Amino acid sequence: METLRNKARELLASKTVQMVIGYGRGSGEAAPARAVFIRAAAEAESLIFDASCQQNLAVYLMKPEVRQLGKAALVATPSALRTILQLAAENQVKDHDLLALAVDAQGEVTPLATLQTIEAHVAALDCNLSAGEKTELQKYVALDPEQRRQFWQEEFARCLKCYACRGACPLCYCSRCTVECNQPQWIPVPAHDLGNLEWNVMRAMHLAGRCVNCGDCSRACPVGIPLYLLNQRLLSEVLANFNFRSGMAAKADNAMSTFKPDDPEDFIR
Amino acid sequence: MSDFEPKIVAFVCNWCTYAGADLTGTNRMKYSPRVTIIRFPCTGRIDFMLLLKAFANGADGIIVSGCHPNDYHYSSGNFHARRRWIVFRGLLDFLGIDVRRVQFSWVSAAEGAKWAQLVDATAEQIRQLGPFSGYHKLRGAGVE
Amino acid sequence: MARIGVFICHCGENISATVDVAKVAAAAAKIPGVVHSVDYKYMCSDPGQQMVSSAIKEKNLTGVVVAACSPRMHEPTFRRACAEAGLNPFLCEMANIREHCSWVHEKGEATTNKAIDIVRTLVAKVKKNKALLPIKVPVTKTALVLGGGIAGIQASLDIANSGHKVILVEKEPSIGGHMSQLSETFPTLDCSQCILTPRMVEVAQNPNITLYSYAELESLEGFIGNFKARIRKKARSLDEKLCTGCGLCCQKCPTKKIASDFDAGLGMRPAIYVPFPQAVPNKPVIDREHCTYYLKGKCRLCEKVCPTQAIRFDQADEIVEVEVGAVVMATGFDIKHGDFFPEYGYGNYRDVIDGLQFERMASASGPTLGEMRRPSDGKVPEIVVFIACAGSRDPAKGIEYCSKICCMYTAKHAMLYRHKVHHGKPYVFYMDIRAGGKMYEEFVRRAIEEDGVQYIRGRVSRIYERGGKLIVKGADTLLGARPMEIEADMVVLATAGVANPGAEALAQKVHISYDSHHFYSEAHPKLRPVETNTAGIFLAGACQAPKDIPESVAQASGAAAKVAALFSQDELIREPLIAVVDRQAPPLYSTCVGCFLCQTSCPYQAIEKEEIRGRDGQLIKTVAKVNPGLCQGCGTCVALCRSKSIDIQGFSHEQVYAEVLALLNRGESDV
Repeated sequence: METLRNKARELLASKTVQMVIGYGRGSGEAAPARAVFIRAAAEAESLIFDASCQQNLAVYLMKPEVRQLGKAALVATPSALRTILQLAAENQVKDHDLLALAVDAQGEVTPLATLQTIEAHVAALDCNLSAGEKTELQKYVALDPEQRRQFWQEEFARCLKCYACRGACPLCYCSRCTVECNQPQWIPVPAHDLGNLEWNVMRAMHLAGRCVNCGDCSRACPVGIPLYLLNQRLLSEVLANFNFRSGMAAKADNAMSTFKPDDPEDFIR
Repeated sequence: MSDFEPKIVAFVCNWCTYAGADLTGTNRMKYSPRVTIIRFPCTGRIDFMLLLKAFANGADGIIVSGCHPNDYHYSSGNFHARRRWIVFRGLLDFLGIDVRRVQFSWVSAAEGAKWAQLVDATAEQIRQLGPFSGYHKLRGAGVE
Repeated sequence: MARIGVFICHCGENISATVDVAKVAAAAAKIPGVVHSVDYKYMCSDPGQQMVSSAIKEKNLTGVVVAACSPRMHEPTFRRACAEAGLNPFLCEMANIREHCSWVHEKGEATTNKAIDIVRTLVAKVKKNKALLPIKVPVTKTALVLGGGIAGIQASLDIANSGHKVILVEKEPSIGGHMSQLSETFPTLDCSQCILTPRMVEVAQNPNITLYSYAELESLEGFIGNFKARIRKKARSLDEKLCTGCGLCCQKCPTKKIASDFDAGLGMRPAIYVPFPQAVPNKPVIDREHCTYYLKGKCRLCEKVCPTQAIRFDQADEIVEVEVGAVVMATGFDIKHGDFFPEYGYGNYRDVIDGLQFERMASASGPTLGEMRRPSDGKVPEIVVFIACAGSRDPAKGIEYCSKICCMYTAKHAMLYRHKVHHGKPYVFYMDIRAGGKMYEEFVRRAIEEDGVQYIRGRVSRIYERGGKLIVKGADTLLGARPMEIEADMVVLATAGVANPGAEALAQKVHISYDSHHFYSEAHPKLRPVETNTAGIFLAGACQAPKDIPESVAQASGAAAKVAALFSQDELIREPLIAVVDRQAPPLYSTCVGCFLCQTSCPYQAIEKEEIRGRDGQLIKTVAKVNPGLCQGCGTCVALCRSKSIDIQGFSHEQVYAEVLALLNRGESDV
């Protein structure tokens, strides 16, 4: 933790960056870590890193309010690193726009100044779904379709259409979301069964081939809908069919905007 | 259920399947009148949201059809469409939405007979599956 | 408020026999927004069209739906009628109740109801239609012709003679292509060079043609009427303006034993060379891979002997940028060489040669001055075996297609051989004789009947050497697959015609499609054989598929006519059914966030980056922009865009959305 703070102090003191985006203690006893924006070396001691630091801080890279504060160093979990690469592949982040401070469970800090070094760092990580994730996903895949339909209908029934999932997602950075289009009104405004389903289908589709499985959508959901299952299902689909993983390279073509002539088509008559 | 007549919407591309369906007509081949075509420039243009809209508004089944991957008017839109459908199908399936209600197909401008067979086979399939009332019900009250 | 007119056609009885047209008209009249609904026997007739145009004027219509045949049939007719009546043609839609309804369903209520559904769907669409203006694109009236073989020469001359500028690019030091290598041509046996070289000279002298020989296309960007090409002029190592083509350098060059490509490896050339005496331009190039000076830093003999001091050892490649309005691909073909035929010993036995080598041997200007002398020992071959379909029509070799020219040139070769070696014995192994073409069959018969060429229907399994002879083992399938063996002095393989090694890379450079064999694809195999799928790029000659000379020339003239037609207009008019990225008021400027996934999905490279800058020049954002000249209106980007920032005119979000809702919501109100 002290390594991280020292690194932050050094970067801020030398004006290499204008701000360090990291984790700080939440208010209250057992509160989870929350994002902090350190702009002076003296404030660096409020930085922490422990198991409660799960949020994908790359989400702030896309917020104009944060962007205008200047170059940032970002305390980056593996998901955040992959997000940075995915954002770069989508022309949202350029090389040298930011500095990533890769952190791991042991508290090691690796400064990564270029997209290339981030790529090299990410290449060494295990980006597969964990065994636990696979088992859980498989549990739902094994259900019969009617059970799955019921499951999701019950889950989506709680959706409030608060769009917290969208706000927490670092890849939901559109300046106008389809849900805000009213000519035509693609997604009904009220939170009813149909609108909730359509909203969630749309979001999952828009993240296909892009989501890095950080899980922040699910963590943000106030009613606890396991949105990560949808994303994990689609990233498995994209991997199995197109041999593609998002967030691995800064110049990658997107899985959904490219194709191979021999993509599977056994379902097409 | 026996007198159930499904409503099926066909989203087709202008250059191959639309023309193929024209040929079915020119050859006076008969098929089920339960399928109605909406014309698109290309399968690449077909938004998955439109498929959801069709189900929400009462469609019992959907046909999506365009040019075969290698005789294609717009050189690659259908390849992109194919990718999109692979993922969309996976998602629908995971949500427990019966993917048998969406039939994807390649029908070229020369395949008038294939179009007729496709329509009849899909109509029969949907007839057996019955009305898609589970989905239609989602629409509930007060929804457009 | 929409004021829609609906016009239901009976199409004689084609529609009215199964659809209750009066009922459809009545139902249409009740659709909100429809102010006029009629049915008529023949809508496409003059009185029918008159009904449409008077209704537009009298009822002040804002949209028209003609429920009749397929839009592929009469959409242009009715759009024109609307335009003449003062209604924007893109406010007219056709409801296809014939091909998609009356012809495919039995008479009955379901069929009539479907016709009503279709009409309602199109009414809903047309209410969302917007008046569109055709797109005008300026045209640069200069053509770029790639490849200076007979197809490129013909296309260049035809375009130049219609009064337009041509830039002809040839990768070799001289134009002429494969035709300049041929000895005589079937079926007339006139000398290839005698008919070709005047055309080559014409190219050099035509003031409308700029020739870049020893040059290759570096890049091509832009779209029909407005391409920008970068051409790499490879360094000839001499000043072309000073060189008079006297040839002294070539005579004096001490490095003389380089296998000549022009002579298909049978002859030799020096390191500074002109490929053949009639070359255009008749200016040598230095082959830097073999020149002693470039290899060892010494020699410069050519420089010393040059009377005009034209040699430039330090010359570098030069990039020329040109603007052109159309491109003709005339890059030709190649034949299979090398170790493709291990069973025939090609490459091992010097007396197993390919068709082009035979052409050089038979050519009066060739390495043997037209005498039949086999490569190994210079003896006159007494028995020669010609093998047709060497590689062609052979799925095992990966070439399923027929190379088309081999049957004819093999008959010609056998005939030429007999004319030169009167006592010689030519045998031809063939699969089928394909001699379709004017005077072609007669030509083959002549070879067999007058020149005594012995045709054997069967394949050759193996060739090996025994006692200075080539043993050709084959079978005669017309004699019960009787195995046979011929002791030949020379074997000529009619090897498969294939695409050039660089064909695929070039196709990608100019963004045209190609088949699995890397031959370029035409826009339509029957009706658009000289166009590619990329507007403004045309095909001529064997780059599309193996072709003989008359076919190549005919296609070249076809391509030239297409170019001339394109250049006959100052501006191109295109249907405005293209994608558009939205623009909004500041501070948003556009809802596009610039992820540019659309860019990778576009089959036409039509999506560009646009930098939006403030008054101070500060970059505000970079957003996508569709180039209207390149966009072909497929809409792949539209369905991909997450923020719905791209829409396509004519099939807009609002239009298709309205269609889906209207189709499924029978009898409900305006949507």
